[in-house]
Amino acid sequence: MTDAAGVLVPRRQGPLGDLREVASDLRSFRELMFEFARRDIRIRYKQAVMGFGWAIFMPILIVISGVLIRVAMGQAAGAGVGHADIAGIALKGVGWAFFAGAVTFGTTVLTSNHNLISKVYFPREVLPLAAILAQTFDTGIGLLALLLLLPFLGVTVHVTLLWVPVLLALLWLLTAAVVVFLSCANLFFRDVKYIVQVVLTFGILFTPVFYEPAMMGPRGALLMWLNPLTPILEGLRLSVVQGHSLLEPLTTVTRQGVEVAAWHPASLLYTAAWALLGLFIAVVVFHRSQPAFAENV
Amino acid sequence: MSDIEPGIEFDRVWKKFQRGERHDSLRDLIPATVRRLTGRGVRRTELGHDQFWAVRDVSFEVRSGDVLGIIGRNGAGKSTILKTLTRILPPTLGRAEVRGRVGALIEIAAGFHQDLTGRENVFLQGAIMGMPKSLIRERFDDIVDFAGIAPFIDTPVKRYSSGMNARLGFAIAAHLSPDVLIIDEVLAVGDFEFQQRAFGRMKELARSGIPVVVVSHQLDRIAELCTEAILMERGEVKFAGPTSEAIERYLAVEQAPSNPDSPVVLESIRVVTAGEVRSGGVVRIVVEGRVNGERATGREIVTVALRSLENGRMLSTITTDHGEVQLPRAGAFALEFVLEMNVPAGLYGLDSSVRLKERRGDIASGPGAHLQVLEGRPFEGVVQTNAQVSLASAPEERTAPALQPTRSGTA
Repeated sequence: MTDAAGVLVPRRQGPLGDLREVASDLRSFRELMFEFARRDIRIRYKQAVMGFGWAIFMPILIVISGVLIRVAMGQAAGAGVGHADIAGIALKGVGWAFFAGAVTFGTTVLTSNHNLISKVYFPREVLPLAAILAQTFDTGIGLLALLLLLPFLGVTVHVTLLWVPVLLALLWLLTAAVVVFLSCANLFFRDVKYIVQVVLTFGILFTPVFYEPAMMGPRGALLMWLNPLTPILEGLRLSVVQGHSLLEPLTTVTRQGVEVAAWHPASLLYTAAWALLGLFIAVVVFHRSQPAFAENV
Repeated sequence: MSDIEPGIEFDRVWKKFQRGERHDSLRDLIPATVRRLTGRGVRRTELGHDQFWAVRDVSFEVRSGDVLGIIGRNGAGKSTILKTLTRILPPTLGRAEVRGRVGALIEIAAGFHQDLTGRENVFLQGAIMGMPKSLIRERFDDIVDFAGIAPFIDTPVKRYSSGMNARLGFAIAAHLSPDVLIIDEVLAVGDFEFQQRAFGRMKELARSGIPVVVVSHQLDRIAELCTEAILMERGEVKFAGPTSEAIERYLAVEQAPSNPDSPVVLESIRVVTAGEVRSGGVVRIVVEGRVNGERATGREIVTVALRSLENGRMLSTITTDHGEVQLPRAGAFALEFVLEMNVPAGLYGLDSSVRLKERRGDIASGPGAHLQVLEGRPFEGVVQTNAQVSLASAPEERTAPALQPTRSGTA
């Protein structure tokens, strides 16, 4: 395309073309992505006094606060907190810690690497993805620790454990969508990281980590299920702790005798739609604004 | 990439920049979006408030074996072109195509992570520059040797001196094997010895037959490396062609015009020594001019100042007074200056001017010339030109050349 004077005006391609470009970029810069992830992990563990303990520090804090809240709730309602409850909180806590950690590090990953972005060319997508990879490593350690703990909480091996990889993949994709989008947004609008911090601080209360959606009553539960993280976290709890097949719906009866949906298979599709559509939009937005990064970073 | 002929093509490239403060909080998103949607935004081809063209309509092509130099003053658009070449900045208009893997010799130590060791940073930086891991592993020892930091390779980079940092950064970049090479002003890293080594490596790379672009203020380096050059001025290409001509024009721009009302008007300055000049060699310079009989007081003297074009420092001033040469009372004259170029290899400027005896400061400036000195007798110490000045020809009487050597100023 040229303008009147015959000067070339850069053309625009369709979103599928963008995706193809991103895919080929990531293929050829795969090593760089892992190198960045390795760098982040090294730095995080190099100077930290606790070393690898750092990886389980945040999940442990989440679990302890979850148990405290449940004990308080139980006191009010006259019910105790069982092993299964703790196992569920621990599982969901690790899931939330992954999401929150990745979003925290990922949002600022472009601005904190501004010296690279303004000096060297490489596909910028590798930076947010490497941040998630580094967080995946941390969470992996947390999961291993949890694996050792779960048998003591009475969790046994079920066939439904096979759902775990599917749920973790969904969590990863959903997190990637959020991180890719926010890292790009924060480059152009520096106040994004403050908003993200506030949202993450209180987000744990809007996500069923410490409790189950059914505890909110029928209307509250419905709102809870709108959060795309809910099916992932509840799915983890149900498949691992309860041994429930995620293809079957589940209802529970509240103390007041009301029937509340505790699981519906369609919720997985709902989350998958969020993750895939979100990732698609995030990647296209990121890729299209990438040429302007160096001038704005 | 191997099936494509590597090369660089700039086709009518324009780049727009925003002057002044940028608004970058979410609050500013809404008004900007409204402007865009209502069609009141600035079009690509137009300049908005506080915008300017950093690069205007620049075209050039670099093929295998070509070494293109880009010269110009600060703010002429050199760095913008460089960043467009390395894909960091997209052109606003036009096409900037680089075929092949780009290797950039730019100041890259900035990308080092301070908490990582030298070794870890070599692998990280290599990966950032697109080097496969196997290649980094293969060249690792060469890189460390080149940087000369072998004992410190497992020390965190934050404990490195700034020189070590820069040396390691250059060493990594210099061991890439790119299809296309882009060299920014990186020679100013490390000590003298390292600079020489770095330049040697650069020459090696530039002559390996791949397309190369060099941006530098060090004109002598440009003259030595480049097969062609473009001269940039305020974002536009002022001249494109042979390197020596581009440099000449660049220097001519800096030359102040001679004032025709001056008592002594200097018309030309020429280097008359045939062939190349090497360090320690002799150079003959002829300055031609005219004495304005009505205005001249007889106290006028002609000076030629020798100046390094690398750092602009004045090295030596030779005057007719030193040589006890008297200018004619009126009419044309030609002066011959003979200088021993006891200076390191490099590019030098010769500026002529008119002064008054025993006074400081020029009363009129004359034309200038430049001179490239090649590597010759090893040179050390301060500048000592052992200059001689003589009247080469005078209209009425032939004066015997004043052979008494004069001592000129030192650097």
